[in-house]
Amino acid sequence: MIGQVLGHCRVVAKIGEGGMGVVYRAYDELLHRDVAVKVVKKDARLDMSASQRLLHEARASSSLAHPNICTIYEVGETDGELYIVMELVEGKSLAAMCSAVGLAPESVLRYGVQIASALARAHDRGIVHRDLKTANIVLTADGLVKVLDFGLAKQVGGSTFEGTTRSFASVEDASSVSGTLPYMAPEILRGDAADYRSDLWALGVVLYEAASGRLPFEGRTGFEISSAIMREIPKPLGPPVPPGLWAIIQRCLAKEPIQRYQRAGEVQAALEAVQSGGIVSATPSADPGAPTTTILHSVRHAHVRKGDFLLLLGTTKGAFILRSNAQRSRWEVGGPYFHGHNVYAMAYDARGGKHRIWASTASYWGTMLRSSDDFGKSWTNPQQAPIRFPSDAGVSLKNIWQITPGRPEEPDVLYCGVEPAALFETRDGGGTWSLVRGLFDHPHRPRWMPGNGGLALHTVLLDPSDKQRMYVAISAGGVYRTNDGGITWTAQNQGIRATTMPEKYPEFGQCVHKIAMHPAHPERLFLQSHWGLYRSDDCAESWFDIANGVPSDFGFAMVTHPRNPECVYIVPVESDVFRCAVDGRLRVYRTRNAGASWEPLMRGLPQKRAYETVLRDAMTADALDPVGIFFGTRSGQLFGSRDEGRTWQKILDGLPSVVCVRSALFEDTFAASAPSRPRAVPSPSPPSHQSKSRSKSKRRPKR
Amino acid sequence: MPVTFHIPGALREFTVGRSRVEIEQAPKTLAEALSALFALYPGVRDRVVTEQGNVREHINIFIGEENVRYTGGLASSVSAECEISIVPAVSGG
Repeated sequence: MIGQVLGHCRVVAKIGEGGMGVVYRAYDELLHRDVAVKVVKKDARLDMSASQRLLHEARASSSLAHPNICTIYEVGETDGELYIVMELVEGKSLAAMCSAVGLAPESVLRYGVQIASALARAHDRGIVHRDLKTANIVLTADGLVKVLDFGLAKQVGGSTFEGTTRSFASVEDASSVSGTLPYMAPEILRGDAADYRSDLWALGVVLYEAASGRLPFEGRTGFEISSAIMREIPKPLGPPVPPGLWAIIQRCLAKEPIQRYQRAGEVQAALEAVQSGGIVSATPSADPGAPTTTILHSVRHAHVRKGDFLLLLGTTKGAFILRSNAQRSRWEVGGPYFHGHNVYAMAYDARGGKHRIWASTASYWGTMLRSSDDFGKSWTNPQQAPIRFPSDAGVSLKNIWQITPGRPEEPDVLYCGVEPAALFETRDGGGTWSLVRGLFDHPHRPRWMPGNGGLALHTVLLDPSDKQRMYVAISAGGVYRTNDGGITWTAQNQGIRATTMPEKYPEFGQCVHKIAMHPAHPERLFLQSHWGLYRSDDCAESWFDIANGVPSDFGFAMVTHPRNPECVYIVPVESDVFRCAVDGRLRVYRTRNAGASWEPLMRGLPQKRAYETVLRDAMTADALDPVGIFFGTRSGQLFGSRDEGRTWQKILDGLPSVVCVRSALFEDTFAASAPSRPRAVPSPSPPSHQSKSRSKSKRRPKR
Repeated sequence: MPVTFHIPGALREFTVGRSRVEIEQAPKTLAEALSALFALYPGVRDRVVTEQGNVREHINIFIGEENVRYTGGLASSVSAECEISIVPAVSGG
C-alpha cells in the first residue's frame, strides 16, 4: 500500500491497525496537507449494502465540523476497497493516558467537556458514535480532545481486535450490534438499537475509566462483563473524584436509557458546572441510583408516529401534547407535563433531522428551558438553568415567553424572549445561551415599563431574506429591529399610538402585544397593540392603522396564514378593562386583503356568554392544506378549525388557562403536498385614513 | 457533628433521591452551608437561588424553626448539628 495513490492521497506510512482496517499516514497532493487514510480491511467482507451504508454514514460524518471531532475529508472506493481520508490527528489516546489510578479530576472534567461537546454536535446531526471508548479519543499535544470514528462503527462487523473488543455483528447482518463490550450499554446487550443515549452510557464508562484508571464493569470473560453491565452497580468513586463528577458518571451509567441524561449537551453543562464550582472534597453520595425524575411515569403520553400532527399546549399549570393525523378530527392527549408549572412558551424544532419539543417552565423553583426528543416521554431537566442573566446584568430571569428556532440553514441557532425583557440566543442547539447585549444595553431599556403580564420580550421574528435582520416586540417597550445580527437595535414604532403615555406617538414605550410576518413578504409586518391594529410595508420603518371593521382593536393573538401573505387572524377583546370577547361572542377575525377589511369567523364558536380571552401566543396556524387554525382560551377551552376558519369545533375544555398553542408535523410529508409557494394575491394599497376612520367610528369602543 | 439539610420532594431528583443531606464540613453561615450542598448536588443551586445569588422569592429557608429572612438571610449563622429546611412558600394561583 505504501506509495499507492488513493484519490489524490499518496500513502506514506502505516500508522496502525484496528478491527476496521489499516490506518496510513498519507499526503494529499491536491491540497498539500498530511492526512490519515483508513483502508477498510478486505477480510471485513462488507457486503454491497453494508459498504453503501458505510459510505453514506462516512459522508454524513464528514459534515461534522467541530474542533473535537476528527474531520472526515473524503470517502472512496478503489479496487473494491473502501477508504476514508480524514484529519491526521497526532497525539496519545485517552486509553494510553489513563494510569492505574486515573487522571487528575481537573483533566477528566476538561476532557469530558470536550467529548460531550463533540457528541452533542453529532447527535444534533442525527449521528450516533456507537463505539465511543478511551481508545477512540485522542489528546493532541496542545490538550485538545479529538473523538475518532464517528458513525463508522455500526457498519463494520467482523473480527475481534484490541483484546477487549468483541463484536456481535455478523457480516451477513449489518444492522446487528457492534462496538466494544466494556463500553456497551445494557440496551445494546439486550438487542435493542443503539441510540444517542447509548453514547452517553459509553461516555459514563469513559469518564469512570479516566477518573479511576479502571473500567466500571469488569470480568474475565465476555459473559462476566455483559452480566456486570446488565446487573451490577459500579464501585463508587471517592476522593479525589469530586462528588459532582461522580454524580454525573452515575447518571450516565443508569441502566435504563430514559434514566440517563437525555442530551450530551446536558452532560457537558453538568461537567462545566462542576468545573466552575471548583473541586471540593466532600463525602460523596452513597446512593447508587441516578436521578430519574425526567421520566414522567404518572403521565399519559400521546403515542406519536411519523406523519402525525401535533398540537403543543402551554398552560399556567403544565403542558399538553395532542396528537392527531392530517384529518385533525380525533385527538389523543398527552400530559399534563410539568405539573403546576407555568408553561408560557413551547416550540417544535424539526431542523437538522431533529424532532425536538421545547418548553419553558416557571415555578417557585425558577425558570428552566427543557426539551424532549421523544414527544414528551422524557424531558431534559438541566442541573444549571440554561438561560441566566450574567451577574453584571443585576437582574434575574423570571420567565421565558418565547422560544423561536432560528433559520433553517442554521439548525443550531435558537432565540428566547424573556422577562425581564431581554433576548437570549444559542448557537449550539441549546447547550449554551448568551444574552444579546446589543439589546440589553440599549439606552431605552431602563425606561421600558412592565405591562399587566410583566416586562417581557414576547415575540421574535426573523427576516428570511436577510440573515442580519430580526425584530422583537416588548410589552411595554415597542418594536425593535436589528439589521446587523443583533449588535445594534433601533426602536421602530413610528405611527403606533401609545394609549398609556402622555405623548401619543413616542419613539418607544408602546405596549405591543404581538407582531407577525409572512415569509413571502418579509418587509411587511402586522401588529396587534394594546389598542391598535397596524401594518408596516417598509420593515417597520412606519406603521399605519388597519382596524377596518373590527369590533375592537384591542387584542393579543395574531397569526399569519402560512401561504397567503394577505391573510391574518386575530381575536379582538372588548377593552383593556374587560379583556373578554366582545359582547360575550367568541369571534375570530380574518383579513384576506392585508387589513383593508376584516370578516368575523364564528361558525361553531360560542356566541352567548362566552367571555373568553385568547392570549398572545395561544393561537396558531398549521401548514396543512386546508390550513388549520387552533386557539386556546384563558378559561381552558381549545378550539380548532380545519377549513381555514370557516367552521370551528371545540377540541377540549377544562384545561388550565391556555397561554401557548403551537402546531407541528412529525414529518413534513403533508407539508410537501401543500403548495410551497404563496398564492399570488395582489397587495392592496394602504387604506386611506378617511375610510378607516369612517369604518371604525361607530364600532370601536370608547377608550 | 454535621449540619443537615432537609430536601423537599421537588428537589430530590437532584440529590439522588435523598430527603436529608449531611454536610461534613463545618459551615459557619447559611451561605457556606448552601455552597457545600450545591457542591455535592449542583442541580439544587439554580432551584434555590437566582443567578444573582439571592434566595428565590417564593422559597423559604429555615434554620431550625427560624425563617432566615428574619435572621440575616444568607449570612445567618449556622451551628453544628443544626437542621436546615428548604421549603416553598405558601402562595396562591
